[in-house]
Amino acid sequence: MAEDVRQLIERMWPESGISRYGRVFHDTSEFMDIGHGDVMALGGLHYLVIRDESERRFGMEDPKYWVKRCHVLETGEKRIVKLVFYETFNATVGRFQFPCYRSPIKEARILDLVREDPRFMHGFSLEDSQGNNVRVLEYVQGRRLDLQVEAMEVDHETYFRERFPAILAGYIDACEAILFLHEHGEKHGDIRRDHLYVERGTGRYRWIDFDYAFDLRENPFGWDLFGLGNILAFLVGKGEHTPLSIAEQGLAEHIRVPLDQDDFGIIFGNRLFNLKKLFPYIPERLNRVVLHFAQGANVFYETVDELLTDLRPCLAELGAIPEQAQGGEA
Amino acid sequence: MNPKRILIAVDASANSERAVAYVGDILCHAREAEILLFCLSKTPDRDLFPDDATWQASARKQDAEYKEFLARARGSLEQRGVDAGCIETRLVPFTGFSVAQGILGAQRDGGYGTIVVGRRGMSKEEEFLFGSVSSRVVHHARNCAVWVVE
Repeated sequence: MAEDVRQLIERMWPESGISRYGRVFHDTSEFMDIGHGDVMALGGLHYLVIRDESERRFGMEDPKYWVKRCHVLETGEKRIVKLVFYETFNATVGRFQFPCYRSPIKEARILDLVREDPRFMHGFSLEDSQGNNVRVLEYVQGRRLDLQVEAMEVDHETYFRERFPAILAGYIDACEAILFLHEHGEKHGDIRRDHLYVERGTGRYRWIDFDYAFDLRENPFGWDLFGLGNILAFLVGKGEHTPLSIAEQGLAEHIRVPLDQDDFGIIFGNRLFNLKKLFPYIPERLNRVVLHFAQGANVFYETVDELLTDLRPCLAELGAIPEQAQGGEA
Repeated sequence: MNPKRILIAVDASANSERAVAYVGDILCHAREAEILLFCLSKTPDRDLFPDDATWQASARKQDAEYKEFLARARGSLEQRGVDAGCIETRLVPFTGFSVAQGILGAQRDGGYGTIVVGRRGMSKEEEFLFGSVSSRVVHHARNCAVWVVE
C-alpha cells in the first residue's frame, strides 16, 4: 500500500507543523481538489502543497487554484507548481477585447529555452500520471521592479539623474531578453510591470510567467511591445501620470506647454507618455522613444530590435552604462 | 513588373470580397489581365489549443473555408465578365510571422505588378495592437502598385 501523507511527512519533514494531512495525488487533473496538506507525487519527488498562489491586482486578491505553493519533501526546497488549466477568456485592453489562451505547453517550451538564461525565471516541466503538463518553478528571490521604483523616496529629478540610468540599463537588458524570445519564435505574452523582478543580490532583472498566448496574427510581437512601452513610460516617469495624479501631486504648475490628447497613451488614453512636458530635463531622444507608444505616434515599433536600436543611444546619452543593472533594495 | 499581372490577396473576409468585386468591375473587359486569387493559409498557433486533435481540426476548417472562398471569388470575377482563362487561384500553407511579408514574397516571386488588398478601416489603436496587413503591404511594397479597397 502506498504511503499516506502523514507517513511521508513524519519521515521527511516532521517539523513541518502542517495542520492537515491530506491525500497523495499522482493525477493532478482536478486541481481544485488539491490543497493545503495534500502531496503531489511528480517525477519521483513529493510536493507538499502549502497553499494556492494568488495575485493581487487592483487591490483585489485573485486566487490561482491551478498554481500551488509547495515544499519538496525530499530536498526541502520551495517550489511553485503550475498545473494544467486550459483557459480561454477575453482580455480587455483599453476599449478592446480579444481572446487570450493559457497554454501550459508554451510555458514549458520557454522554460526549456531559457533554462540557463538568468534573465528569466527558471523551472522545468514534467507529466503527471495522466500526461498533464506540470511546470515546477523556482522562486525568483527579489522584488518587483515597479514596487522598487515607487519606493524610492526621492523627487523625480533626483531619481532621473541618479537612479534612472542604472534602471534603464536593466530595462534594456530585459528588452534584450524579450528579443531573444522573439528570435526563437516565442512571445512572453504577458509583459506587465508585476512580471519583472529585480533579483536580490545580483540586481538582475528577471521575467516571470509566460503561459499566455494570443492570436495577434499580423502583429505577433505587438502585444509584447505594448507591454514594454508601458513599463518604459512607468520607469521614465517614476510612476504613472494621469491628469488627476498630476493635479493631486501639484505637478501641473511645471507644465509649460499645454497637454493634448496626442501626449497620452495610445491604448490607455489617460496615461501621460509625453513625459518631457512634465519633466523638461528628460532628453529629447529618450522622450521620442516613449512617444512611439503615444496617441500622437505615426510610426509604431514592429520589433523589439527597433525599440532597442532607439533606446541604447539614450542610455549612452545619460552618461552611465553600468556593467550590470543596479538592483539593490530601495 | 507587368502591371496587368494582378495578385489579389484574400482571406475569406468581407474585405476580400469587396476587393475581388472591385477588380472584377474594373477589369471585366481587360482580356490581357492575369489575375491570381492568392490566399495564405497561416497555420493556427498550436499554443491556442489544448491538444493536437482540436488544433488540426481548426486548421482543416480554416483550409476548407479558404477553398470555398477562392471558388466563390473566382465565380464572382467570372460573373463580372472576367475571362475564366485569366484567373488562377492559389491556396498556400504559411508558417511565417507576417502575412503581409508572405504576400509581398509571392508578388516578387511571380513578378506581379499590382497587388490588391481589402481593408476594414482600422483605428490607430487597433493597428497598434493587432497590426494591419494592408498597411504593411503598402509600407513595404516595392516595384509594384498597391490597390487598397475599403
